[in-house]
Amino acid sequence: MAETLKPVRGPRDFLGGRLRVFSEDNVWLWLLPLAVLISFFYLYPVFEAVRFSFTDATTSSGDDYSYTLRSYVQTLTLPEFYAMVRTTVIFVGCSVIGQVLFGMLIATLVYEGEMRNLPGFGIVRALVLVGWVLPGVVLGIIWKLLLDESGASFMAIPFGMFGIRDPVFLSAPVPALAWVIIANIWRGTAFAMILQYSAMKTIPPEYHEAATIDGASWFQRFRLITLPSLRNILLINLILATISTLNTFDMIMPLTGGGPGRSTEVIALYIYNVVFQEFDFGRGAAVAVVLSLIGIVLTLVYFRILTNKQDGFE
Amino acid sequence: MSPIHRRSAIPVLLIYSGYVIVALIYLIPILWVVSLSFRPLQELFAYPPRLVPMKPTWDAYVRVIENSLILTYLWNSLKLVSLSVLGTIVVALPSAYALSRFRFRSKRQLTLIMLGILMVQLISPLVTILPLYRYFATLGLINSHIVVILVFIAMETPVATWMLKGFIDTVPTALDDAARMDGASRLQSLVLVLLPVLMPGIISVSILISVATWGEFLVPYMLLSDNKLQPIGVGVLDFQNTSDGVTTHYLAAISVLATLPALIVFLLVQRFIVGDATSGAIKG
Repeated sequence: MAETLKPVRGPRDFLGGRLRVFSEDNVWLWLLPLAVLISFFYLYPVFEAVRFSFTDATTSSGDDYSYTLRSYVQTLTLPEFYAMVRTTVIFVGCSVIGQVLFGMLIATLVYEGEMRNLPGFGIVRALVLVGWVLPGVVLGIIWKLLLDESGASFMAIPFGMFGIRDPVFLSAPVPALAWVIIANIWRGTAFAMILQYSAMKTIPPEYHEAATIDGASWFQRFRLITLPSLRNILLINLILATISTLNTFDMIMPLTGGGPGRSTEVIALYIYNVVFQEFDFGRGAAVAVVLSLIGIVLTLVYFRILTNKQDGFE
Repeated sequence: MSPIHRRSAIPVLLIYSGYVIVALIYLIPILWVVSLSFRPLQELFAYPPRLVPMKPTWDAYVRVIENSLILTYLWNSLKLVSLSVLGTIVVALPSAYALSRFRFRSKRQLTLIMLGILMVQLISPLVTILPLYRYFATLGLINSHIVVILVFIAMETPVATWMLKGFIDTVPTALDDAARMDGASRLQSLVLVLLPVLMPGIISVSILISVATWGEFLVPYMLLSDNKLQPIGVGVLDFQNTSDGVTTHYLAAISVLATLPALIVFLLVQRFIVGDATSGAIKG
């Protein structure tokens, strides 16, 4: 990489011989702004969050708190907590699977259309991005409007056609969670589509042409050429979609507010409520740490699955 | 024509039916909300519903603009987004340059640094925002746009660094080597030689950062308590919570106002995102 010419001074000089800290050839100086940012806005807060999770700090307690395991004990013995974990797992699992699959479907449609020079693929590609550009709160409000139960709302029309005049959308636990998931898939599919479509575009078209000449069907081409080249991006897609869905609650607030009851209260929303309604800073931090652990475990699982499958794919 | 480009009827038909379904799924909800926003009160719940109102009216828009802070929210968003984009590029570009152009002790060292930057992105913003909130509250910096912009820059810089490094990698080193032979410093070769060549990449990254920060909820929601300072992604929620009575058409109107400016800009520039930006990152 880089530097084809022999540099007069190189980064080696800093690590090895002469110490030239303020030389512009000192690579670490170039990386300094990024390092400062990461230390101050990521590493220090993470350390602090873990520390606070072992305290009884409230939002207004200042420096007046003491160390305790209370936050974890209270959280982990709370029956509602496990109901919330269940809700979160369903929400994240279904959302991520839905986003990745629909993203793949739409990316394939756009990609195949582009290969065939079909007019219109660009419009479809742009339209999907709409769901992604909307602020989460606006998206939640829009879906709430669509799901109005008055009988004349957008979603009520198809139900009305089948004779169901008062469909239940957001006022019962199971449909409410289902619609929150559907709205979230609608939102996140664009991101999955962009990633997978970009990866598909890096496949040399000759591969597909050669396969077609050899008599491969579309499905064979997809399975043997497209899918293997998507493996890395699928891993990234799964990780990013999971992390962002775990942390999502902006669209849930206007859509259901976590209800009815607590049926759509995901852990992220719960953290917000604990800190800003119960003012229990320590417990909020503890739940946030638990949420991060769930994210880390899932990331490791994806790595295991997708790197083990390597041989199977090819 | 190569065989793949030969148009056989069945796949084309399948692709187009897919297009129609996808377009409907994304277009109809938006059109429905636009329709709601132009309906007079008595048409809101009319059955059977009509997409085009019989007596369209601007009333909801007038009401929303007069009685909400929507224009303030939009202005706040514009301010937060543009300054965050600028700040992120300024912080990310030198690091991206270093990661692309410097020779590291080993390839492994570079890979570790790159992975480290990516790992940071996996840290939940919910974890970091709690101590940051406490920290800035102690300093009396709640309700400061500058603090929100700093946090936005911090959130976007790792991924921006990754993508910009991918772009710089695609520029032949001969270009900046030549400048350096002529006596330019590294900084000069970055700003005067590389920057113009990198413009398309910088635009792509800027668009991605804009989209991410435009709709950001958590950070401004936590760090700004004054409603007048909120960006659009938070302010609309406040409007939903404080309005009572039949608000369907008002909510629809404010959603349209909140969405439309960004949507138009975005649709005009979206080709920058789907093509180059992400492919640069993937190769990198």
